[in-house]
Amino acid sequence: MRLGLFPGCLMPTEQYGYEISLRKVLPLLDVEIVDVGDLSCCGEPLKSINQMLTLTLSSRSLALVKKEGLDLLVPCPMCHLALSEANRVFKEQPEMASRINEKLSGEGLSYDGSVKLLHIIDLVHDVIGLEKVKALVKKKLPDLNMATHYGCHIFRPKELGRPVDSENPQKMEAILASVGIRSEDYAEKLDCCGGPLLPVHPETSLTKTGQKLAAIQEQGFDGMALACPWCHKMYDSKQKKAGETVGAKLEVPVLYLTQILGLAFGIDEGDLGLELNQSPVEKVLSKGEEVGA
Amino acid sequence: MNRIGVFVCHCGLNIASKVDVEKVAEYASKLPGVAVAKDYKYMCSDTGANLIKESIKEHDLDGIVVASCSPRMHEHTFRGVAQDGGLNPFTVEITNIREQCSWAHEDPEEATEKAKALVRSAVSKATMLEPLVASRTPVVPEAMVVGGGIAGIQAALNIADSGFKVYLVEKEPTIGGRMAQLDKTFPTLDCSSCILTPKMMEVYHHPKVELMTYSEVESVEGSIGNYKVKVRKKARYVDLEKCTGCNECALACRLKDRITDEFNMGMGKRSACYISFPQAVPLKCTIDPKSCLMLRFGKCGDGPLCVKACEPGAIDFTQKDEIVELNVGAMVVATGYDLLDPDAMFELGYTRSEDVITTMELERLISSSGPTHGEVVLPSSGKKPGSVTFILCVGSRDETQCSWCCRIGCMSALKHVYLLREKLGQDTEINLCYTDIRSFGKGYEEFYRKIRGKNTNFFRGRPSEVRVKKEGMLIDIFDTTTDKLFEIKTDMVVLVPALVPRSDSEDLSRKLRLSRSADGFLMEAHPKLRPADTFVNGIYIAGCAQSPKDISDSVAQAGAAASRALSILSKEELENEPLIAWVDPEVCAYSARQLNDVTGIAEVDEALCAGCGACISACPSNACTHKNYTKQQLVRMIDEVV
Repeated sequence: MRLGLFPGCLMPTEQYGYEISLRKVLPLLDVEIVDVGDLSCCGEPLKSINQMLTLTLSSRSLALVKKEGLDLLVPCPMCHLALSEANRVFKEQPEMASRINEKLSGEGLSYDGSVKLLHIIDLVHDVIGLEKVKALVKKKLPDLNMATHYGCHIFRPKELGRPVDSENPQKMEAILASVGIRSEDYAEKLDCCGGPLLPVHPETSLTKTGQKLAAIQEQGFDGMALACPWCHKMYDSKQKKAGETVGAKLEVPVLYLTQILGLAFGIDEGDLGLELNQSPVEKVLSKGEEVGA
Repeated sequence: MNRIGVFVCHCGLNIASKVDVEKVAEYASKLPGVAVAKDYKYMCSDTGANLIKESIKEHDLDGIVVASCSPRMHEHTFRGVAQDGGLNPFTVEITNIREQCSWAHEDPEEATEKAKALVRSAVSKATMLEPLVASRTPVVPEAMVVGGGIAGIQAALNIADSGFKVYLVEKEPTIGGRMAQLDKTFPTLDCSSCILTPKMMEVYHHPKVELMTYSEVESVEGSIGNYKVKVRKKARYVDLEKCTGCNECALACRLKDRITDEFNMGMGKRSACYISFPQAVPLKCTIDPKSCLMLRFGKCGDGPLCVKACEPGAIDFTQKDEIVELNVGAMVVATGYDLLDPDAMFELGYTRSEDVITTMELERLISSSGPTHGEVVLPSSGKKPGSVTFILCVGSRDETQCSWCCRIGCMSALKHVYLLREKLGQDTEINLCYTDIRSFGKGYEEFYRKIRGKNTNFFRGRPSEVRVKKEGMLIDIFDTTTDKLFEIKTDMVVLVPALVPRSDSEDLSRKLRLSRSADGFLMEAHPKLRPADTFVNGIYIAGCAQSPKDISDSVAQAGAAASRALSILSKEELENEPLIAWVDPEVCAYSARQLNDVTGIAEVDEALCAGCGACISACPSNACTHKNYTKQQLVRMIDEVV
């Protein structure tokens, strides 16, 4: 299976661990990643200011991917939302669609809403399938109970059709279970990471981050698994600051889903970008045993 | 030669402001076949009617054209006027120069020309109108009421008290419906059973009522005045004559306390043979074929214990469903409501915590005949709750679930606050999250005022989520009256779910040919003026089957439905609508259409025909036609206009 990759802005500029790990893990699952050149910003940060520009930016990238005849892997939930919204406009608002295409025509591009979008979670859960994941497990991870965190854009708004259920997402849990990791539900599971408030109201933002991490720590989880670069930035990179904000000593290992899959598939720890995680990931590492060994 | 009278109405200024009515009348007076044409300010008034009646006599008219509003408004009026004036009422033709002319056009000249054309067209048809005589059908002076809740009981009693026989058909083993599940009623706090059971007994013992419990309507044929209904009497596996209602079989049952108790909303357990509640009517046991070991596997240990326990020997595993045929003149449908299953809203925690319950479940907890004998405890631990939080409008007034208001949620929650304060004392915290408190009925606002003094926290807002913790639950609620976010920690959450149509209401509406509105509830013929009628003549609706409502409104509507049914039953025969389709036997010569063995033609049942005309366009040999809407009549009208 060949998939175009939409890197977004955060993954190639600071959340390298996500990209490193997914580039290691996906080939094992028979997914070939194709880098499509010249992609734009997804447009989502501009949505409240200029919706037309947002849609045009999304559609421009999608038009480039369509030219290559590829479906698109969008690891960032926020980009996934923006691109999904563009696809919806092309399906439901022909007038808007032709206005966008008018703008794209300057570059000789045109779009029709046909590029299929995938996020890591539905790619692994729905397309590749858990049987294939199970078959690849090489290393038995220690008995871990990981709190899952999805990232709001991947499950809402429901009306748009999202990769996971908007009230009771369970796909990440199922993926983790297939590599032998427990993930109990917890009351705060759907809580916001605080990320969107960081530039305008940092204290509130970090309070949200800290509260959720504190709740996870209190409930005895071994760590947190997630699949959003923005949320990872908050829970991992900003964990120390968030702890200071809520007055708690936070020591929650935060890992990308792809990093956990990589560990289970026996990929060397050094190849998964784990050294870039700021949270104490060493707490969940190194104790695994070879399957059958 | 015809002698037609044309009467042009001004309708005040409704018509006259756009149409030059005098010119139209003058024009009409010169049309062939017209003996006289007049205009008047309000043709539907007494004076207008007299004008028509006098003209009939004076000019010896044989037909009338009224150019006025839509025939939906006053066709009936003018038919009556013609009849009073000595004409056959079906020699009246109405042409609509208001809705379809004066209201629709800007230019007075064009409107006047159009009115002239319409009148000319109507006159051309009027010269061909046949005097029609309505046929008559005898009325079966018996009624069927479907649904044995408070609305059905009330309708049955009203009809029976007027001296007509009523079959009260209830699908459950006992009558009583939802009201029997309630502990107290708002706003008077009457004990629900205490006011319901006398009515249940009255209907049970009424000489004119035949109770058919554990029975369902299988099929309906016929029409107003003469419906033929097949009712399936489900096998109870208990001989009603012999059963004394002692409940010994239920106590003896091998599955005692193992079957989910529907009457207690799943809060308790029953046996495979059971009596729903102590005041059940009839007080007879029923064996549930879905759980009884004998009925499922033909074997129950070393012999069914219920048979041993039953002294009168009432248990009979060989019973079969029975189809009973009823013949009734009218029906009242009062099949009630279901509660929205909160499973649909994962975020509210109903599936995740035993301590998230619905109002109806709380009702059973409060009731002394309920699973805890009236003690309000947490289902998970059996402990007394330290805090109870009500969430109103669960699925109600919610575009994603039910857009309508349930009309009883606010008041039922306020009632529960009162009852919980009584049962749990002052130590228990009570929170109530509401959208608006709609206390609209008599005495309701006063009751709300009283509850506000009961040390209750009212939050105006809808919680987005009930967070289920290891112990207790958390609710974030943004209160829109103070613009503040609150976090409620609570032990028990009571959801007040939306009222939805019965799950089998689609099936029943199909059997009875009743329409349903977009929300799925049975549709009334007119929301204001015919609230208990349906579009099917002779079938009336009452209670929550029509729309969510409280007990008082259900009882009121039941009375209305009963009185509508009585208006049929009290007549010996009914006049059939004469404006119907009919089959011309001379055209239809094919034996392929032979439906009537005697006459050899596909006849039209006059009582059934609603005059829709669908069969006319379907008939390939032009054998079907419509009285006074014949092709010849209509073609001639069109010719005149075009």
